[in-house]
Amino acid sequence: MAEPRPRVKLPRSIEAGVPFTVKTRITHPMHTGERHDSEGALVPRQIINRFVVSYNGELAISVDLEPAVSADPYVQFEMAVPESGHLEFQWFDDDGSVYSLSKRVDVD
Amino acid sequence: MAPTRRDVLLASASVVGSALIPFGVAQASNNVFEAIDVFTGGASRLEGGLLIDAPEIFDNGGAVPIRVVAEGARRIALFNDGNPNPGVAVFSFGRFVRPEATIRIRLARSQTVYAVAEMADGTFREASQKIAVTVGGCA
Repeated sequence: MAEPRPRVKLPRSIEAGVPFTVKTRITHPMHTGERHDSEGALVPRQIINRFVVSYNGELAISVDLEPAVSADPYVQFEMAVPESGHLEFQWFDDDGSVYSLSKRVDVD
Repeated sequence: MAPTRRDVLLASASVVGSALIPFGVAQASNNVFEAIDVFTGGASRLEGGLLIDAPEIFDNGGAVPIRVVAEGARRIALFNDGNPNPGVAVFSFGRFVRPEATIRIRLARSQTVYAVAEMADGTFREASQKIAVTVGGCA
């Protein structure tokens, strides 16, 4: 499996207290554990099972994911922040890996 | 009177529509209601206050976009009744985030998607939507 690559898209400009859209995605096959490979062997389940976003260390949103979530899991949400700070994104893999990304938010 | 172009289009649209949506015999093929009961602790669910925004027909069952919104919700869970397992995702919202999220999901075949919201006062809301997929996603 290629190394999962996380991506996050924020608007160019963010104002204090004004809602903005956060688009997130990570490249990952999300193996359901229900599929067989070309030799007929069951491909073991391996998914991103949890996605957590925090702002200045406080939970913003967490998502528990099941195999019914598409490959390259995409999650979009709306948030508003009172001040500048750091957005921290973490994706937890079944194999124990954690993929993370950090974004600075500077409010206008 | 000869049928107008509009009549013909409407008639063919309804034939295609009914061929795509065999929901008359819709029945859960997994234990979706048990899974919902685990989420709610068996509490009853009210209608209203929870919106599922999703296509009624979608070509690619491998990545169906679903948006859920429930003003005042602490958590929103998504379920399906036609994949091998009923769970899809559970969103938990902190104070910076609006109780709304969009995610892309796999639907193995045409089926019903359920959303259940846990509100700030501890009550639960439920909404559901039938989604027809033309090519099932391998779930």
